[in-house]
Amino acid sequence: MSGLASRADRARGLCLPLGGLLVAEAAARISGLDSTTLAAPSAIAGAGARAALDGSLFAATAQTLGAAFAGLVIGVVLGLAAGIAFGLVRPLDRLMEVTVELIRPVPPVAIIPILIIVSGLGFRTEVTTVAFACIWPALILSRSAVRGVEPRLIEVSRALRLSPLARIGKIIMPSILPNIVVAVRLSVGFALIVAITVEMTANPVGLGYAMIEAQQALDPALMLAVLLWIGGIGWALNALLLLLAARVMGAAARQAPSP
Amino acid sequence: MSVRVRQAKRRFETPGVAIEAIAPAPLIRFRQVGLDIGGRTIIDGVSLDIRGGEVVCVVGPSGCGKTTLLRMIAGFVQPTAGTVTFNGQPTAAPRPDVAIVFQDYGKALLPWRTAAGNVALALEAIGLPKPQRPARIAELLALLGLGGHADKYPAAMSGGMQQRLQIARALAQEPTVLLMDEPFGALDAMTRQHLQDELLRIVTDRGITVFFVTHDLEEAIYLADRVIGLAPNPGRVAREFDIGLARPRDQLATIEHPDFLRLRRALFEFIKAAES
Amino acid sequence: MSVSRLAWIAASALVFCVIVAAWQQAADARVFSPVFFPGPDRIWSALHRGWTQGDLAARTATTLGHMLVGWLLASVVGVALGAVIGLSPLASAYLKPTLELLRPLPASATIPVAIALLGLGESMVLAVIAFGAVWPMLVGTMHGVQSVEPRLLEVAHALGMPRRRVIRDIALPSAIPDILAGLRLSLTVALILTAVTEMMAGGDGLGAAILDAGRLMRSANVFAGVAILGLIGMAGAMLLSILEARCLRWRLAS
Repeated sequence: MSGLASRADRARGLCLPLGGLLVAEAAARISGLDSTTLAAPSAIAGAGARAALDGSLFAATAQTLGAAFAGLVIGVVLGLAAGIAFGLVRPLDRLMEVTVELIRPVPPVAIIPILIIVSGLGFRTEVTTVAFACIWPALILSRSAVRGVEPRLIEVSRALRLSPLARIGKIIMPSILPNIVVAVRLSVGFALIVAITVEMTANPVGLGYAMIEAQQALDPALMLAVLLWIGGIGWALNALLLLLAARVMGAAARQAPSP
Repeated sequence: MSVRVRQAKRRFETPGVAIEAIAPAPLIRFRQVGLDIGGRTIIDGVSLDIRGGEVVCVVGPSGCGKTTLLRMIAGFVQPTAGTVTFNGQPTAAPRPDVAIVFQDYGKALLPWRTAAGNVALALEAIGLPKPQRPARIAELLALLGLGGHADKYPAAMSGGMQQRLQIARALAQEPTVLLMDEPFGALDAMTRQHLQDELLRIVTDRGITVFFVTHDLEEAIYLADRVIGLAPNPGRVAREFDIGLARPRDQLATIEHPDFLRLRRALFEFIKAAES
Repeated sequence: MSVSRLAWIAASALVFCVIVAAWQQAADARVFSPVFFPGPDRIWSALHRGWTQGDLAARTATTLGHMLVGWLLASVVGVALGAVIGLSPLASAYLKPTLELLRPLPASATIPVAIALLGLGESMVLAVIAFGAVWPMLVGTMHGVQSVEPRLLEVAHALGMPRRRVIRDIALPSAIPDILAGLRLSLTVALILTAVTEMMAGGDGLGAAILDAGRLMRSANVFAGVAILGLIGMAGAMLLSILEARCLRWRLAS
């Protein structure tokens, strides 16, 4: 019964995307579309296939993901370090409050022009911008997670006379792991948005620039193909991280009863 | 009017014979009620009559279907065999003159509404015109001893106060029947005793019929005119205990009465046997 | 607010002042090239000049307008669509998979498409902001109305409340915390996308001004613009906190 219902639901879910695709293709064929802004789904698929075959699509993907990943790692590590420090040392957190609250709302892309002046148009600007965007989720979530660590566990670590580093490694990090995973998921989304933005404005490589180039060359099929490809990457990354999250949470749950 | 009905009923009860012949038709009637879910029999062959104004407590080991019977009267669950009728009508859907009080008051109150707002919800549902609501709300809150707390949110109230509020909301429906699903199970002993006495006072005054599920045997005896003992696997009525204790009841005199102790022993032995 | 809390905020503001003073010292001592990092004094004078003589105030108003209209569009669409999907299994079956496909699409990637379709004007800016900011709201509302305490639905059922009233009195109020969280997140996204689209589209917002100043190596003007964007973000977050405190009084009651 439920199997039938879910199959019907799946069919319903496909109605809109498939229907849209068919309507778009039919409309393009009937009107003999020759546009600088739109393209038939078949033309988009063709352009995508050509870009994949000549390797340009994958080269651009590697550039974008490379920069996004580098920035993500730097940002998350810095954010975690600051978040754990602020979470453990309340006075430090309180003293830095005004400074952090003043810098945090700055939209990451707004610092692109500053970075262009400092480090020019290029990879460093992209990585720095991504890192700036990824610091905040890691900082905020790890700070509140550290504060939420079971006080009994902190007392245990005191009683065992663990060194501060051992305390972080053995008690704090494992307890806040689920929150770190959430922070990374949020950050990955930001990293991709920001990386593509920088490529459109300040670092002429990668998928962001590929889209701009196609748009300016009045090649809507290629532009839309890259857009769909980017959407696919976003979707795949999200799915991957959900899987990772399930694993980490699963591992945490399995380990929970053991001492 | 309802008070008089109750007094009349009492007079019928005193002789203790041939009540069925004289009493009016029962308000709630289970006839050979069964419930199968996914091939499992939850309830089997339950027949039960509840008269208007009666306080009936249901006890039994866990998994014997106490709450399911209550939800059938409420119209939340439909039996797969037999019938449950209210005033001769099948209980197909919830009705305004049947009110429920849940055990988990923390979940059953709207956290974003004040005490007054929570009572208002029931008044809105029965369609009481807006100008008449404040007076009714004040009256109900005062009845449950919440007069000074109308503007408090549930999160700012103790468990006992929250449960009082839930009872006030149920009474706002002006119910004929009050269904109570272990309403005092999560409260401390003192609060529970207070609420038991207040509940008895209110339902006696208003002639409300009560169907009260509990796992506390002493509570069942203290409150009830009749205690229904259920047995599990599948849930069925195993025994009925008529509680002849005098009313009004008293937390000291009633509980020390030899009849109370005798009933307590009988119920304990029944539960022990039903569990094994 | 307690005295110690105020004291800590004052101390924290003092720390910020010390940082700014140190920055000023470093700038005066020419630790960094003044072309890259202007001192706070030059940023302040750029702000002052831009606000009193230049078009900084007008540009700030333009940017604020973009952000608010886009955000409002996103909020209305997001909450409405989220409520429909959250409440109706049928709507959910038809719409949710498509939305799940669209959601991971980085909002900035839609900019070239929006430019191709709508040109470089106002409608492109608003469309991109709304598209990007709609998701947190949609997901928040959907999650909120779906995670209504089942006991409350039983209470509503027992009271014989009609569906319309259940939505208004039970489902939407219980989704308010999630909706507010969505508003907060989408405010951040809206500000980012406002800055980006203004950079890409030119025009008379702050984004374009910052990018132009950057190209001309007028770093004090860049910092001035960035500071205003930051202040906009902070003001938005503060207003939301006030709104949250008002709407969620019942939570803080304990």
